[in-house]
Amino acid sequence: MINAGVNKELKMSSGIEKHSGKNRINFSPYLYIGPHLILFAIFFLFPTLYGIYISFTNWDLIGDPEFVGFANYKEILFNQDSTFYDQLRTGLGNTFKFVLFTVPACIIVPLLLAAGLNTKPKGMKFFQALFYMPTLFSVSAVMIIFSMLYSVSFGPLNHYLNVETNWLATQPYAWITLVTVTVWWTIGANMIIYQAALNGISKDLYEAASMDGANSIQRFFRITLPSIRAQILYTVVITTIAQFNVYGQPLMLTKGGPTSSTTVLLMYIQENAFGSGISIAGIGAALAVILGLCIMVVSAIQFFFLRQRD
Amino acid sequence: MEKKRISKIVAVIFLLLMVFIWIVPVLYTMISSFKSEADIQTNAFTILPINWVIGNYQDVLFGNTSAPVAKWFMNSLIISVSQTVLVLVIVSLAGYGYSRMKFKGRDAIFVFLMATMMFPAVVNLIPLYKIIDTLGWVNNYLAAIVPGAAGVFNIFLIRQFMQGIPKEFDESARVDGASDFQIFFKLILPLIRPVLTVVALFTFTASWNDFLWPSIVFNDVEKMPITPGLQLLQGMYALDVAHALTGALVAIVPTFILYLFTQKYFMESLSLSSGVKG
Repeated sequence: MINAGVNKELKMSSGIEKHSGKNRINFSPYLYIGPHLILFAIFFLFPTLYGIYISFTNWDLIGDPEFVGFANYKEILFNQDSTFYDQLRTGLGNTFKFVLFTVPACIIVPLLLAAGLNTKPKGMKFFQALFYMPTLFSVSAVMIIFSMLYSVSFGPLNHYLNVETNWLATQPYAWITLVTVTVWWTIGANMIIYQAALNGISKDLYEAASMDGANSIQRFFRITLPSIRAQILYTVVITTIAQFNVYGQPLMLTKGGPTSSTTVLLMYIQENAFGSGISIAGIGAALAVILGLCIMVVSAIQFFFLRQRD
Repeated sequence: MEKKRISKIVAVIFLLLMVFIWIVPVLYTMISSFKSEADIQTNAFTILPINWVIGNYQDVLFGNTSAPVAKWFMNSLIISVSQTVLVLVIVSLAGYGYSRMKFKGRDAIFVFLMATMMFPAVVNLIPLYKIIDTLGWVNNYLAAIVPGAAGVFNIFLIRQFMQGIPKEFDESARVDGASDFQIFFKLILPLIRPVLTVVALFTFTASWNDFLWPSIVFNDVEKMPITPGLQLLQGMYALDVAHALTGALVAIVPTFILYLFTQKYFMESLSLSSGVKG
C-alpha cells in the first residue's frame, strides 16, 4: 500500500522534473527521506528539545507548562528538605553504583567466554548460542525467572546451597543478585564482538612473542588487549550507556529495596511523571536531564581516555 | 604443545561451568512449567515433575482475566510485526535517499541525524507521552508501533550496506530507462536483503521486549503487550512458582524460536555494527 502510493507520487514528480529546467528543485529525494524525517521530528527531535524545556517549568502533564527558571534544579540539587533532593541523591547514587558494579563484569565475563571459545573446543557453536540466548529475552521474563530462583523459601538456589539467604531483600545480596542477573541477561552481544576481534589477531604475533619468552599473561596484556582495543572501547561505551538506563531489574527483582538501597533514578523519574497522584513532570524532566547529562559526560570521558592511551 | 593442551583443558572446564550457570535458569523454567502447583508445594525440589501437567499453560493463557496472557501475546504479535514492517519501509527508503540520491544538504542532514544518536533517550520520555496522549494514542497499538520508527541507527546500517553496491549498477539501469523508484525497488532492495533481515530481526525482538515505554502508554489490561504485562502477572502469581514461570516462558517463546532459525544473522550483524563503529 505504502509503496504503491510512493510509486505514484514519484512518477508524478519525475514528470515535473522532465518539463522543468535544471534550476528547479527536485523533490523526489524528499519522498525517500521525508517519511523518516517527519517521524524523527515528531517522535524524537521535538520531544527531546521539549523535554529540556519542561525541566524549567512546573508542568503537570495536563495544563500549560509555566516557566519557572532554575527552580526545579535548585530544588533537586540544593534544597536539603525536599524529597526530590533525596530522590536525586539516592536514585543517581544507586544508578552510579549499578553502572560501577555491572560494567566491569559485563566486559570481563564475555571477554573470558570469548577467549575460552577461541580455543575452538568441541561444541563451540552450542556454547556460543547458549550464552547469547538470554539477550533475546525480555527483562520482565528474566526477572520473574530469577525472582523464583533466588526466592528465600521456595527458590532452588537456597535449597541446593543449603542456606537461608534473603537474596532479594538484604544487602549486600540484593546488589550481588542484580549484578549476577544483569551479567546473565546481557553479555551475549559483547561476547560475539570479542570473538570476532580475537579471531582477527594474527597467530604470528603470538608465536613471535612466545619465542621471545613471553608467558601467557604477558601475551594477553601485550598482544591480545592492544589488538582488540577498538572493540573494548566500543563495548565499554555502549555497555555503560545501557546500564545507566537500568530500570526493569531493580523494579521487578528487589522492588528498589531493601529501604531504597537499589531504587535507581529512572524509577523516580517514572514515579514523578506517571505515578499515581498528581504528575510532577517538571521535576521528572529535570531529573531526566541530569541523568542524560551524566550519560553524555561519562561516555565522553571514557572515549577520551580509552582513545588517548596510545 | 603440552602447554597448549593444558590451556585448552582449562578453557573447557571454565566453559562447562559457565554452560551450567547459563542453562539452569532456562531448564528450571521449562521444567517448572510442567509441574502442578500441588507438586511444588509438597515435593518442592524434585528435579523432574512427579506428574507432568499442561494445566499451567491453560490457566495462564486463558484462566485469569486480570492477567490475560493470550490476549497480551496477540497484542505483542500485532505490535511487533507492524513495527517491523513500518521500520523496513521507512529505513530502506531513507537509506536509499542518503546513499543514492543527490540533493542539497544531504550530507549535512545525515551527519545531523547521526549526531543525535548521542542524545540520551531518557530526556524525551515525558514529552513523548504527552504527544501520544494528544494524538489520542494512549492504550492504542500505534503508541508502541510508530515512535520506534523514528530511530536513526538502522538508516546508518542500511546506508553503509548500500554504499558497498557499485554505482555502475544504477547507471546501467538508468541507461536502460529505469526510474529512481524502479532502481530502488527492483535493483537495490533485492541486493540489500541480508541487512534488511538483520534490521527486521532486531526490530522485532526490540519491539517484543520493550518494557518501560509500553508500561507508560498502556494502562488498559486488555490492550497491553506481554512484556509490561508480565509485571502484573508477577504480582498476581507472587507465591505461585509454576504459574509465574509458565507466564515468563510463554513470553520468551517467540524470540526463542526466531533465534533458533536465524541465529547466524544475529551473530553476523553484531560484528557488522561494531566493525564499522570500532
